[in-house]
Amino acid sequence: MDEKEAHTQRLKAAVHYTVSKICQSTVAECEKQISKQAVAAIAETTFRQCEIFAKDLEAFARHAKRQTITVDDVKLLARRSTALSSHMQQKSEELAMNNQELKEKRKKNAAKRKSKEMEGNEAEETES
Amino acid sequence: RSAGVLPKSYVMSVFKHFAKSKVASDVYPVISDILQRYFDRLADDLEAYSAHAKRKTIEVEDVELLMRRQGFVTDSMPVNVLIEKFLPLEYRKLLIPVATSGNKVVPDQRR
Repeated sequence: MDEKEAHTQRLKAAVHYTVSKICQSTVAECEKQISKQAVAAIAETTFRQCEIFAKDLEAFARHAKRQTITVDDVKLLARRSTALSSHMQQKSEELAMNNQELKEKRKKNAAKRKSKEMEGNEAEETES
Repeated sequence: RSAGVLPKSYVMSVFKHFAKSKVASDVYPVISDILQRYFDRLADDLEAYSAHAKRKTIEVEDVELLMRRQGFVTDSMPVNVLIEKFLPLEYRKLLIPVATSGNKVVPDQRR
């Protein structure tokens, strides 16, 4: 139990660190100040919101009879707010594009390697 | 669209049942409007959930998921408890088969 709590504390600290970074950059943009308490409150809210998100995503994945949470589940989570869901849509398309590019690169590399190996084999064969 | 989604007498009787104080009769148009929006939203959500499970038919699971997201169903408040609490006996019989099968124990069919 103690170990679990320590783990929670570490997670919270990590969230707090990232939240304070984001807050600092936002504050620098708007030229305003933000109190430490406000940052801490945002961090705590973020942490609890994550719990809710996790439960909802789990329910959505189970609903679609999957064990793995996918982009579709996340999109379903953000469906209610139009701005957020369009943002998500855009991001997911970007991700899909990147993934496809990576896959194609890998394919090309694999093809190159194969052709090289073939050449090597042919060379060996001619040598022998 | 002047006609409400539900009959006026029914809406008012339910509202008066749950309201802790006296209810003026001129709240009906507002409640009717809210109900209309609620059902629109409900249909939208259920459509999304059934499409998410790659189905074209809305099933009990979708409604349960919706109620979970609405916060009515939680880990400490299962659907069956809500059904027993709020629905009349004939609907309970439809939704919970154990209640109709005498002493025979039927496993929960929705799992």
